[in-house]
Amino acid sequence: MAPHVGFNTDQIKDKARKDLLYLLEGVRGKKNLVLERGLAGPINLFVKFSTLQEYGVDKLFFLENGNADVSQRNVVFVARGESARHAQSIADHIKRMQRESQTGHEFSIFWVPRKTLVSEKILEEAGVLGDTTTSEFPLYFLPLEKDLLSLELEDSFSDLYLHRDPTPTFVLARALMLIQQKHGLFPRITGKGDNAKRLADLLARMRQELIAGEDSNETSKLGLTPSTTIESLIVIDREVDYATPLLTQLTYEGLVDEVVRIQNNQADVDSSIVGTVPQPAPGSSKTVGTAPVEAKKQRITLDSSDKLYDQLRDTNFAIIKSLLNKVARRLQNDIDARHSTKTTAELREFVNKLPGYQAEQRSLKIHIALAEEIFKHTRTDQFSRLLEVQQNLAAGADPSSQHEAIEELISRDAPLSEVLRVLCLESCISGGIKHSHLEHFKKMILQAYGYQHLLTLDALEKLQLLLSRSSPMAAMIPMTGAGAVAGAKTNYTYLRKALRLIVDEVNEHDPNDIAYVYSGYAPLSVRLVQSILQKQYLTSITRGGNANNAAGVATGGASQGWRGFDEAVKHARGATFDEVQKGEDKAVKARALLTGSGEKKVVFIVFLGGITFTEIAALRFIAKQEEGMLSSPLSTSHANNSTPARKRIIICTTSIISGNRMMDAAIEKGSLGKNTAQAS
Amino acid sequence: MANPTADWEKVGDKFYRKIQLYTAVFDQDLELENYIVTGCSYGGAIALHRDETKLHSFRGSQASKSSIDLYSCAGKLIRRINWDKGSIKGLGWSEDEKLFVVTADGTVRCYYDLQGEFTQFTLGHGAEEYGVTACRFYGTGFVALLANNHLISVSRYDEPRPKLLATPPEGEVRSWTLIPPAYTLSRSVEVLLSIGQTIYVVDASESEDRMLDIGPFSHISVSPNGKYVALYTETGRAYVITSDFQNRLSEYDSKSRIPPKDVQWCGNDAVVIAWEDEVHIIAPKNAAAKYFYDGRVHLIADHDGVRLITNDVCDFIQKVPDVTDEVFRFGTESPASILLDAVEQLENQSPKADDNIQLIRPNLVEAVDTCVKAAGHEFNIHWQKQLLKAASFGKSVLDIYNSDDFVDMCETLRVLNAVRFYEIGLPLSYEQFLRLTPEKLIRRLINRREYLLALRISSYLRLPTDRIYVHWASQKVRVGSEDEDTICRLIVEKLAGKRGISFEEIARAAYDEGRGRLATELLNHEPRAGKQVPLLLNMEEDEIALDKAIESGDSDLIFFVLLHLKKKLPLASFFRVINSRPVATSLIESTTQADDTELLKDLYYQDDRRTDGANVFLREALKQPDSKTASDKLTLAAKLLSDSKETSFELKALQEASTLLKMQEAFDRDLTEIFTGLSVNETIFKLIRLGYASRAKKMQSEFKVPEKTAWWLRLRALVSKRDWNELEEWSKTRKSPIGWETQPFFTLILGAGNPKLASVFIPKVAPALQPGETIAMYEKCGMRVKAAEEAVKIKDVETVDRLRNLAGVGTVEGREIERLGAGLKRP
Repeated sequence: MAPHVGFNTDQIKDKARKDLLYLLEGVRGKKNLVLERGLAGPINLFVKFSTLQEYGVDKLFFLENGNADVSQRNVVFVARGESARHAQSIADHIKRMQRESQTGHEFSIFWVPRKTLVSEKILEEAGVLGDTTTSEFPLYFLPLEKDLLSLELEDSFSDLYLHRDPTPTFVLARALMLIQQKHGLFPRITGKGDNAKRLADLLARMRQELIAGEDSNETSKLGLTPSTTIESLIVIDREVDYATPLLTQLTYEGLVDEVVRIQNNQADVDSSIVGTVPQPAPGSSKTVGTAPVEAKKQRITLDSSDKLYDQLRDTNFAIIKSLLNKVARRLQNDIDARHSTKTTAELREFVNKLPGYQAEQRSLKIHIALAEEIFKHTRTDQFSRLLEVQQNLAAGADPSSQHEAIEELISRDAPLSEVLRVLCLESCISGGIKHSHLEHFKKMILQAYGYQHLLTLDALEKLQLLLSRSSPMAAMIPMTGAGAVAGAKTNYTYLRKALRLIVDEVNEHDPNDIAYVYSGYAPLSVRLVQSILQKQYLTSITRGGNANNAAGVATGGASQGWRGFDEAVKHARGATFDEVQKGEDKAVKARALLTGSGEKKVVFIVFLGGITFTEIAALRFIAKQEEGMLSSPLSTSHANNSTPARKRIIICTTSIISGNRMMDAAIEKGSLGKNTAQAS
Repeated sequence: MANPTADWEKVGDKFYRKIQLYTAVFDQDLELENYIVTGCSYGGAIALHRDETKLHSFRGSQASKSSIDLYSCAGKLIRRINWDKGSIKGLGWSEDEKLFVVTADGTVRCYYDLQGEFTQFTLGHGAEEYGVTACRFYGTGFVALLANNHLISVSRYDEPRPKLLATPPEGEVRSWTLIPPAYTLSRSVEVLLSIGQTIYVVDASESEDRMLDIGPFSHISVSPNGKYVALYTETGRAYVITSDFQNRLSEYDSKSRIPPKDVQWCGNDAVVIAWEDEVHIIAPKNAAAKYFYDGRVHLIADHDGVRLITNDVCDFIQKVPDVTDEVFRFGTESPASILLDAVEQLENQSPKADDNIQLIRPNLVEAVDTCVKAAGHEFNIHWQKQLLKAASFGKSVLDIYNSDDFVDMCETLRVLNAVRFYEIGLPLSYEQFLRLTPEKLIRRLINRREYLLALRISSYLRLPTDRIYVHWASQKVRVGSEDEDTICRLIVEKLAGKRGISFEEIARAAYDEGRGRLATELLNHEPRAGKQVPLLLNMEEDEIALDKAIESGDSDLIFFVLLHLKKKLPLASFFRVINSRPVATSLIESTTQADDTELLKDLYYQDDRRTDGANVFLREALKQPDSKTASDKLTLAAKLLSDSKETSFELKALQEASTLLKMQEAFDRDLTEIFTGLSVNETIFKLIRLGYASRAKKMQSEFKVPEKTAWWLRLRALVSKRDWNELEEWSKTRKSPIGWETQPFFTLILGAGNPKLASVFIPKVAPALQPGETIAMYEKCGMRVKAAEEAVKIKDVETVDRLRNLAGVGTVEGREIERLGAGLKRP
């Protein structure tokens, strides 16, 4: 058996690249690639266009455009197999090409991440299955960062909660199963939410099926014993905490996402903002997805390869200015140091560092421009009004006191998504909106934004985001801590105290609690994670303590599940579960022997249905504490606790979301009669 | 024991050996010369079919029945397949021992398990019209030659896709063969056709003349590695050339006028030519050796040699492997041969044994390795043992020796000897075994229903056993004569606790056999829900299939079942099936939203989901090209909601939407501006901006737009129109529903670039503000004097000074501020 290696996200990236190139190699000669648009970004994360060219790719088309030409004999389609729509458009493509060109074509289809019966059936019915070679490109998790895996299923939110389509859960289960097969079972699976429960059930079922399907081979048996390098799996269903993403994200990365949107670690920014960024190398810069970007937009990459961004991304936006300032000054000093060089050796050393400085300078320029752009946005009257309303609602202010402000936003034609976010926030936090008020708002929205939004409002109701208090779904929302049925709906009123969601005195410069990410509101989803991972800390701050004198960051370890917070968890929506996966004793011992212990253990935190950048920031904050890198103010008093349980946190999700993306899932894009008349 | 070199024959500078594998192969009265004989590679089965072109004596009705007979190499009849499909033009094997039968009309049958089970497909491409004349097979595919010289290639058997190759020229094809795709540059199969004097090479895209002038050729054969081609001319000469037709390697004159029956390669070094009862082996440099037999000889080429089949014997001719040569060659003094000798001395208890060891001491490791390898290549069990003994003796003398190879070889030989046993009849050479792999060997044993041996070998070599059990069980349900309960119990008992057993496969076998109840019972033991679904669908257990699919959580599977049901069932019963299953309903809803709105309407109607139904119409309305049809759709939507109280809000909204469309249509017409597509607020905004205030007023009252909103709209519209007069007029109003305090007027007007007008609103705001805030507001308007006045009011000396400095001390403004400030500084 190969030497065992711990979990590493780079492995996944490498595997994805190898898989794709291997498949491409299987198609002999030059080929045209027809890509599903949604896959261009993800593929770009792990393979450069120039590499694809080396493997014979000549031209690149998007499946959705329907314009692939017949210049090459070989045509390769890459699309997600789960979607019947793609199969249909591939069939259309093939038929069109066969009509248009005389020469015979070789069609290959790589289904991501797997072949599906439905897609094959559609191709068969279209009569083109016989002309294609199909293979699977098992692309599940995409590592966006070292600690962040995403399936990058853009529609996962609407699929899961609006259409009630379980596909994302299934794909996620398969992806996690692959990790389990490689690194062993998650010794414990803890989670919250109905879909999370479904995920855990699926994992259990898949494990059974795997055992059933596996041959009696000795070597693969090891894959299904509890892992010694993984500590546990924590699953949080987005449904449990809708309110958090509805709030405006206040970290740098979060705000960049709110203002310009980050897609697959990339953002399209107006060139007038960042200026023309000199691309590092002409060959490698042509990325898989750049072609269709409008001339005015500049695509910039935002990930940890940009050192400066890595420092800035998770900090509260309030301190960005001073941070940028500091960096600029340091950089200036470094560069100025050349004047003081005396010997040629010193000079050479300086010259060697030059490229680094230049890169840094470049990224500094981008981020100053970006921050400037965001400042422009945050300084507006509307933004501060919105933020005020959001924070008041989060803090539990009487919702009706905020109504006037919301009405004004509508009257002033604020973006619909912002208005809906606030309304949904109110509905989520205070258990629905009074019937008469809701009707009033609905009427205002329909008049201000068009009657097509009847569909939008209906979708929001289906998502249980915007409910009337009198509606049957909202009726289950317990308004007081006791009495009502717990667990049908997240009760923020109760949880606000029980898990201390509001922390008034946050220090944005040197944060001491995750609440810094929303300037005073601690995301419920992350608090739930803390109630598993950081029990002592959470207990100390909820028991009337103040975040500052929280007694160290004691690590309870995931071995206790929800214990200590059972009551609080009951007040969040959906099923609660905590399961232990056991294996045969002998096999467990064998694995322990093979892998050794005492290594850093990995905790997988899964956000089913999407995660926001702020939540990621908060989880990273916890991760730092768990790694023992961040010393909490009073950690000296716990000096005897010299061996902190070393943990690594890996965040997994179906996609990155934000309040706006949630609203996009619901908002109807068409408008009545507009097909003839384009509004000026 | 006979000297192993007894059967060696020197051909050129290399030795070839003939190994007698089996004797008494076929019945003496089987007229082998009247049969087409093809054998599968890796010592696989042999198929016999009576050659229809030959006359044969009448022997009563039963013998005249056409059949394909499958034999093992040892001559054991595995299966007789009755054949009634017409004349056979191609009979060949794939490397996984599937038998392919191609008939003249282009029908291809694939017998995949040696037991007569088959699948069938047709070649097409004109095969039916012109007729197939011959076929050539390779490991994973074959090529058929039609009467019109067209070539059809089938490159894979799992999904056969017959493809026409490039068209070769007209003319009689004397002989032909192919180079498998694995060995060609183009990676597609290449066919060599002997037409006239020359040879044409045909692949998928072109047919190329190789410009030879020594033809015509009666036989063409390609070496196993695809590098060389043997050509046999009608004049009795044999040539060996490279397969790219660049180099001629050797030439041999058989001095025979009689055309040979067959020309095959023996490994990659020699060519075997067979006449009726005479066999020549030709090596490079014209060297040759001859063997003579009693009856007709058939050749079956394998990777490392060639099998010769006669009625009496089955022989294997191969080049003597290098290690064997090293050990046994006459007069050799290689370390390995000395080691072998040492063992014999040891058995004779002669001290020479030690002398021998001392002699080869420095090369002992090498000698042991050679003995181990040579043992592998040996067919004779005595010499296998002797060689292994030598190796064992040699390594006992060594201090350190890695015995892994030795142990592996012992295991392998046990397996090889077991399968070579005549009752099994798989005469695998060691090299063939390595190429075939143990897994595929097991598969061949399963096909021969040698379950016990397969199980023993699997557990001996630590290989998975699930396939063996499943195959056994499938066979059981097919042919088992016991009643169904007994069979089911028997199978479950035997297979319980075994991993990887696919009950679905067994159940499918039972179902195909028509034992439906048994299939259902067996299926219940299948732990993988997803696996059960396709079979359940076949068995028309639709609802159970749907439930199992839902249980598996795989949305693809669920949707697949749903598509199937949708097609099969009448709409009403389809709805009945999905209604009780929310996952199914939501999947249908989300996937049909785009393309099948009628289905959705029906679904919502019968489920009484009025709002959803209305939404479908609304969505359709959005897609309408003009207001008229859009309104119609809206009316339909409204009709659905009309008799329910709960939806009164939606109903009203829909009616309003229609009204809006109507009004907008009128505006479009009257005002020659486009309003359609705008919302109520946007329409009002546009009306005001264009100066149609009264129409705007009318809209406001028609739609009961709240007063506050109306104010906002008017303000924004007037500002965007830059209608300062109107705004100034407006400022005289006493009360504002949107409040002067929140400064909307001031900010918007200032933002629009009219500070003077903006300042008009400052006094209106003032009462609500902190004293002093107005200073900044005036400043923003550029009115420093006014600002100073405000500062004076609150006695803010500093600000006054600051303002004065800003204005400049000497200017008019400055003096004015000075004057104001002076009043303040006076005590």
